[in-house]
Amino acid sequence: MSEYAENLRSAFAQRRYERIASIVDSTVIKGRGEIFTLTDMLDQVFLNKHLGIPIFLTVLWTMFQFAFAVSEPFVVIIEKIFEMLGAWSGQAISDPHLASFVSLGIFGGLGSVLVFIPPIFGLFLALSVLEDSGYMARAAFVMDRFMYRLGLHGRSFIPLMIGFGCNVPAIMATRSMDSEKDRMITMLINPLISCSARLPVYVLIAGALFGAAYAGTAIFAVYALGIVLAVATALIFRRTLFRGEPSPFVLELPPYAVPDASSSILHMWSRGRMFLKKAGTIIFGMTIIVWFLSTHPWEETSGGQVIAESYIAWIGHAIEPVFQPFGWDWMAAVALLFGLVAKEVVVGTYGVLLGAEEAGLGEALVSQELFTPLTGFAFMAFVLIYVPCVATIGAIAKETNSWRWPAFALVYQTALAFIVSGVIIAAGRLVGLS
Amino acid sequence: MSILKRLDELVPGQGGRIASISPCGNLRRRLMEMGLVIGSELMVIRVAPAGDPVEVLLRGYSLALRKNEAKQLILEVDAA
Repeated sequence: MSEYAENLRSAFAQRRYERIASIVDSTVIKGRGEIFTLTDMLDQVFLNKHLGIPIFLTVLWTMFQFAFAVSEPFVVIIEKIFEMLGAWSGQAISDPHLASFVSLGIFGGLGSVLVFIPPIFGLFLALSVLEDSGYMARAAFVMDRFMYRLGLHGRSFIPLMIGFGCNVPAIMATRSMDSEKDRMITMLINPLISCSARLPVYVLIAGALFGAAYAGTAIFAVYALGIVLAVATALIFRRTLFRGEPSPFVLELPPYAVPDASSSILHMWSRGRMFLKKAGTIIFGMTIIVWFLSTHPWEETSGGQVIAESYIAWIGHAIEPVFQPFGWDWMAAVALLFGLVAKEVVVGTYGVLLGAEEAGLGEALVSQELFTPLTGFAFMAFVLIYVPCVATIGAIAKETNSWRWPAFALVYQTALAFIVSGVIIAAGRLVGLS
Repeated sequence: MSILKRLDELVPGQGGRIASISPCGNLRRRLMEMGLVIGSELMVIRVAPAGDPVEVLLRGYSLALRKNEAKQLILEVDAA
């Protein structure tokens, strides 16, 4: 914008506020001077010098607890329904080919996707409530200092938070940022924030290999790794691709309000819809493809019984050499390949490959000795980092209006995944782990 | 009797009237569009827990801005 236009707009702003002030002065009768409002009281606590940051962290933790606790019963219900439908259709349909398609392909696929909907909607509901209550602006206020040091903006914080739910709405949420550079960095590092689709993979691997006592720590370590990598990448991008200062931080802190139930639900819906769309189309379609590739050619696999003879096994063996240095076999190769579509598909793929129900999957991993704790952890790190899912790539393409940036995200993340997993394996072997 | 001070030099509880805004195009416009125009009165409410940004009260609403931005605002402060 030219300097002249800038000056003109400044002059307009000046005159506008002068006019507002004169109208307010001549029409509004002010009550007794200083009133200590509820918002003032709450801010005394929430933005307190010592309490502000602990309260913020507590709110964040509560949000995740809420999302997962509230969704738990729904997850169980969905699992049970699809288990029943799968078993029933497997028996009721006489043609074995069709029965396999309906029971494993359709119901199995749908069930494995739909279980993620309750926690994602729970998280979006929590975020909507926080936003409508007025706390989100305070969160940006509390966090801006840290984000600024990372070359980011207080407003980057909310999209990064949403990324823990799903990177697709998170990338769309960067629309609220007005600086192009801040926005690009926030979008490009977002896939490193571990979305909820990756959690089932961690739960499976960590649960099987680290036991109940250490599984939580291993999962926490992967989340922390994602955050550290996001920070490091943000710093690098700010110094290379998007030089300059983060944009100015000028943000209104609105009065606190009791969130309105219907508007919170509406917010939740408009964000969750994007995930539903992704689940209903891409992920579901892909699980059907996984079913097809793992049960065909129909004769050689004895009607989908012998996976080692299927197309999927051929593909896995073909790309296995790439992953051999990491100690991962052809099944891992196949799982990662299908994980390109959506990372939760990794779990479903293992389910098909090992021929086990979700609950028995961990045991199957252990009994077949597919991973050691070291190679398993490196695998978790790889799943965290390598390529954003297809829907995220699509979101980056749509928001940047180009194919250059999604291609860039794909390349840099895959390279980063190989490097980080390689370092984990090398470091582990150096200290004597196998 | 009043003196001129930069907004980032004020402590919570202090306030004044905006006397001038440093002339750097884009930022100046953004500040002015948020209501930080010459002549408006504001008061510093608090500093964020990490020491930055600051919250100011302006025309009855709360605005948060970084010290970097606050530096651009020169206030007329009553010398007490």
